[in-house]
Amino acid sequence: MLHDVTKRYPNGKIALRDVDLVIPEGDFVFLVGPSGAGKSTLIKLLIRDEIATRGDVVLDGQDLARLPRRQVPRMRRKIGIIFQDFKLLPTKTVWENVAFALEVTGYPRRGIRPAVDQVLAIVGLSAQAKQTPNQLSGGEQQRTAIARALVHDPRLIIADEPTGNLDPLISWEILQLLLRINELGVTVLMATHNAEVVTALRKRVVALEEGRIIRDEVGGAYHRED
Amino acid sequence: MISFLFFSIRRAWQGFWRNALMSLAATATMVLMLLLLAGFFIIQTGLLAALDFTEQKVEVVADIFDNAQPSQIEELRQRVLSLPEVAEVTFVSRDEALARFRERLKEQGEEDLSKALDSNPLHASLEVKLVTPEVFGDVVGMLREERIVEKVKEQQKLVDELLTVTNVLRTAGTVLLVVVGIIALFIIVNTIRLAVFARADEIEIMRLVGASDAFIRWPFVFEGAFVGFLGAVLTLVVLALAAEPINGFMLEFFQVLPIEVGSMTRGLVTLVMGTGVGLGIVGSWVSVRTYLIR
Repeated sequence: MLHDVTKRYPNGKIALRDVDLVIPEGDFVFLVGPSGAGKSTLIKLLIRDEIATRGDVVLDGQDLARLPRRQVPRMRRKIGIIFQDFKLLPTKTVWENVAFALEVTGYPRRGIRPAVDQVLAIVGLSAQAKQTPNQLSGGEQQRTAIARALVHDPRLIIADEPTGNLDPLISWEILQLLLRINELGVTVLMATHNAEVVTALRKRVVALEEGRIIRDEVGGAYHRED
Repeated sequence: MISFLFFSIRRAWQGFWRNALMSLAATATMVLMLLLLAGFFIIQTGLLAALDFTEQKVEVVADIFDNAQPSQIEELRQRVLSLPEVAEVTFVSRDEALARFRERLKEQGEEDLSKALDSNPLHASLEVKLVTPEVFGDVVGMLREERIVEKVKEQQKLVDELLTVTNVLRTAGTVLLVVVGIIALFIIVNTIRLAVFARADEIEIMRLVGASDAFIRWPFVFEGAFVGFLGAVLTLVVLALAAEPINGFMLEFFQVLPIEVGSMTRGLVTLVMGTGVGLGIVGSWVSVRTYLIR
């Protein structure tokens, strides 16, 4: 939930102005808008990579600006993040990439194997577990990233242009996967330029332009329909 | 806690080998810099020993009147010895002085003409060794006041010049060692920075999946310590291999010098190990910090 949020960067650029946005648990929300509209800033505020200049960003009842720095990592484990460029480690296998997220957060060692095996099964990559990212297709790499985002059993998945580097068919595959995850009760916020997907799915659409929310409709299309 | 330690060390080990090229580059830089540092340390130690040796040669010699009583001489000797700046006082009797004189002539292969003399022309003297040559003037002044002292040999100017030279050399040596140390520090820290920089993605992913700062930092710090340790060991191996041939030449040159090989080796091992491991840790800590402060 964002309440009256403004974000001004040190260079004076105002990326978000008076943004009010409430995302209920279990929602599936598309965040659309041209480049530079503030989508990435909004995401950065949600994962507390940046702090709002004014207003409150509240996640799961927690005001992120008041969250002590030491608590930030714990908060981030409630969020799974997916990027356009996947951000996988090239020297590790699919399995290790996913396990990495658990290892570096101090997850009990015995629990790692079952947890990783389980999410790889969800994204359908059990067979590719021992391959490294450069042996995979783009869609498989993104599915690896989704598996990594899921392995902490997050409440919220944030996807920043997850289909930006993928061809349309594969994009649909990724979308199907995100929808299925949403059906399991995980909130999904997906920033995208993919008009076709947004319009076809008729989910909630939040449109940003020049730092303001210009449209927020349930069952919306990518473009305004009047 | 224990499992965190194991985790960090395991990750450090993996990190080192998975990025073997970067790690080996960092280790190689470390070895080169440590060798440079060790080389200067050896030179500095030799220089300091040479300077000490030279300064030890400085002594005050006071000739005693021939008619002085042994009790008076002994009393003066005790008094001089009690001065804090005096290390050692030796009484050289007239006979001893003559014996020394003859010894020296024999060494030089000259004919001993003193045998032709019917009496001993030499004076008895007190030879005063000083703790530091800086107090030379004070001791000379004090001895001049004594009744039984005939004259104090005049070397003040020579001593002053010697002291100037040794102090300049000492300062220059220390400055050079410090400068080399700082250069080595910067190069090593920078190499580690590069190695960490090459893995910025890994650090970013760790942050995004919710790794705490400690989980991000410590593996890198251990890895830095490992690079430092490996670099130090390799440096010491190289030094040990080089020691044999160098020793032959050095011993001849240095044998007059009061160098304790044992203590120098200890100093060298401490310096190389401490610098290597220390810089490895500091370098990693500083480099990772850049990515953690947000």
